[in-house]
Amino acid sequence: MFDRTLLVVLALLLVAACVIVGRILRPGTLADRAVAFDTLASVIMCGLLVDAARSNDGLRLDLAVVLGLLGFLASVTVARFIELREGKDS
Amino acid sequence: MTEVIRIIQDVISVVLFVFGALLAIVASIGLHRLKDTRSRMHAATKPATLGVLCCGIAAAVQLGSASDVAKVVVIIVLQLVTAPVGAHMLGRSAQNK
Repeated sequence: MFDRTLLVVLALLLVAACVIVGRILRPGTLADRAVAFDTLASVIMCGLLVDAARSNDGLRLDLAVVLGLLGFLASVTVARFIELREGKDS
Repeated sequence: MTEVIRIIQDVISVVLFVFGALLAIVASIGLHRLKDTRSRMHAATKPATLGVLCCGIAAAVQLGSASDVAKVVVIIVLQLVTAPVGAHMLGRSAQNK
């Protein structure tokens, strides 16, 4: 019963991740895509935490730590890139 | 007695997991429907902090061993520190244009 409920939660997170990927693929500015990518990273982190509880495995938590650091570095890098590019244009 | 504790653990973690997943769904809808970059960031920052917080507490309640709880604390503290910093830098770069 508990296992099935967690599968339903994983399915909900998968639907959310697919909708966010659709947002990334839709035409838009770079900042919009960076925001969507950041949200996608946190949704995948939630999925890893659910999977850690479902399979009783602590290894997924290490993956979640790495994913959180990568998402932070990616969004900061893209923000710096947008600022530098616009400073060069004007 | 141990079965009762087990059931309480299951109920707490399922409620928190479902709440985190609903936050993710709402944020994904908000990313499509809201009209501005910064209003989209308003929708996107909810699962980044509260969703990860709820899922982390639920996983810690379910796993229970000391090393796993320490890892979950690291995840939550890292996310609570880094998510506002990243959102601040993205918002500043979206404002300047």
